[in-house]
Amino acid sequence: MISNTNFDAPEDITRWRTLALGIGGIATVVWLVGCFFNTEQALRSWLLGFIFWGGIGIGSLGVLILQYLTGGAWGVVIRRIVEAGSRTLPVVFVLFLPIMLGVTHLYEWTHLADDKIIQLRQPYLSVEWWIFRTCLYFVLWGVMAYLLNKWSLQQDQTNDPQVALKLSQDSSKFSGPAMVFYVFVVTFAAIDWVMTLDPHWYSTMWGFLYTAGWGLSCFCFAVAILALLADKEPMNRIVGKRHFQDIGKLMLALVMVWAYFNFSQFLIIWSGNLPEETTYYLTRMKGTWGIIGVLLIVFHFAFPFLVLLSRDTKRNAKWLAMLAIFILLLRLLDMFYMIGPSPMIGNHGEEMEFHISWMDFVAPIAVGGIWLWYFFGELAKRPLVPINEPFLPDAIKHGIEH
Amino acid sequence: MNDNIYGYLAEFDTPTQLVEAARKVRLAGYTKTDAFSPFPIHEIDEALGIKRSILPFLVFAGGVTGLLTGLALQWFVHVFDYPIIVGGRPYFSLPSFIPPMFELTILFAAFTAVFGMILLNGLPKPYHPVFNVPRFALATREKFFLLIERQDPKFDLQETRNFMQSLNAQEVFDVDE
Repeated sequence: MISNTNFDAPEDITRWRTLALGIGGIATVVWLVGCFFNTEQALRSWLLGFIFWGGIGIGSLGVLILQYLTGGAWGVVIRRIVEAGSRTLPVVFVLFLPIMLGVTHLYEWTHLADDKIIQLRQPYLSVEWWIFRTCLYFVLWGVMAYLLNKWSLQQDQTNDPQVALKLSQDSSKFSGPAMVFYVFVVTFAAIDWVMTLDPHWYSTMWGFLYTAGWGLSCFCFAVAILALLADKEPMNRIVGKRHFQDIGKLMLALVMVWAYFNFSQFLIIWSGNLPEETTYYLTRMKGTWGIIGVLLIVFHFAFPFLVLLSRDTKRNAKWLAMLAIFILLLRLLDMFYMIGPSPMIGNHGEEMEFHISWMDFVAPIAVGGIWLWYFFGELAKRPLVPINEPFLPDAIKHGIEH
Repeated sequence: MNDNIYGYLAEFDTPTQLVEAARKVRLAGYTKTDAFSPFPIHEIDEALGIKRSILPFLVFAGGVTGLLTGLALQWFVHVFDYPIIVGGRPYFSLPSFIPPMFELTILFAAFTAVFGMILLNGLPKPYHPVFNVPRFALATREKFFLLIERQDPKFDLQETRNFMQSLNAQEVFDVDE
């Protein structure tokens, strides 16, 4: 019954795709010009864009694994969106190439051969080993994304309900161990890509900050896309208020988890009060950096927390999507707060004054345009809901219930 | 029929019948009504016109009270009543106060949720006339019941009974006071 209905993505996606590529293309050209003037700043800004948009792609894999583990109607409804997000991993890797090529222009540890601490960390922080590790992360994520997407496609093509059920169950079984690996790989990647910007500093909360942060980014992005599709064919037959309410609850949970991990890191460093750890916050609590820190507490935690407590906000697709986009902007500010104040090459030992470059705006637009172009292409490739998922009729019913 | 009556209780076989009957009862203008079912039926709130509970707001207030209590308690202990220097940090060290403040927020919110739920449900209630109908015990097993109380302004001993019998009920019982 369900299979006879058309669940293909609406035509509009092609238009959004072209728009994304156009804007992304122009921004990339502008960014390339900036590369000639200040390579280090250009790469830093690109890293900002990469960590934000690539994080949505990587987070999509995490949420895909999560929804297979927990089950539930919300997972069935956003499964195709996060699947498409997880299939962007090849382009996420391509977007990482500028950083890989410019590694010696971006990371201070590539220039500190006579620094005692860096010498001790040399076995881990060498350029070849760093590049190898990054490739390994993408291979591991890629295998998880490939298998889950392959089984999901097979489920679409089968006519046998037994096979469809088995494919869903297999995906769930695979997702248990996959989640463990996913969190480990995210931890290592976040440390390699962002934490090593400040090669003397370390935090054991770092991996969790990114697991939670990228998960939150992915949920916010999925809500925005879902709201965009909700009043068009075919999703207007699928999504109901209650789906948005459920995803809103998860957004609330992740906003709290984000705040919890950040506060844990702060409390541990503040209580320990050791010079090698406190530098991170000493820089970030002064002047304009400090103001950004307060903005993050208020608008990345307190405001969304209070708004998401309300049931009416969560059930209203437009409001929830607006809040999701607002949180996404704050996610970008959070990434800027992590990357921006890190020491630059040749600035060793000095605290970074507040600085923001025009490329910090251009690079995220460039990365975002290219990423969204690829994402919409992937989204349009498959029906917008898993048509043979045994739980689909129940999931649709769940959404329209009171 | 007697004068010593609390209300009428109609018995139904399926939740769908109960919801349909509840809609008709509300449209007929009855307000002092209640429905009984062995499991939650989401549609019944809307069908009977039951208002949303104020419990979420109470829980929020409970949480805020807990937060402020946590802050006040630690300020009283660490700053006002017995200030001692711990680890070279100031007396008023907000970062280290936050975990207990968070704990008390959860504690107060959870207590408000549990006890608020019990009180708003009208519990504890040692006696309720509806149990005078022997078959009402089935409300916890397989039957669905709809009650119209005598206190309802529209209630009429004869008319209400006829009306309830028109709702496709299995049977309509007199509930003795």
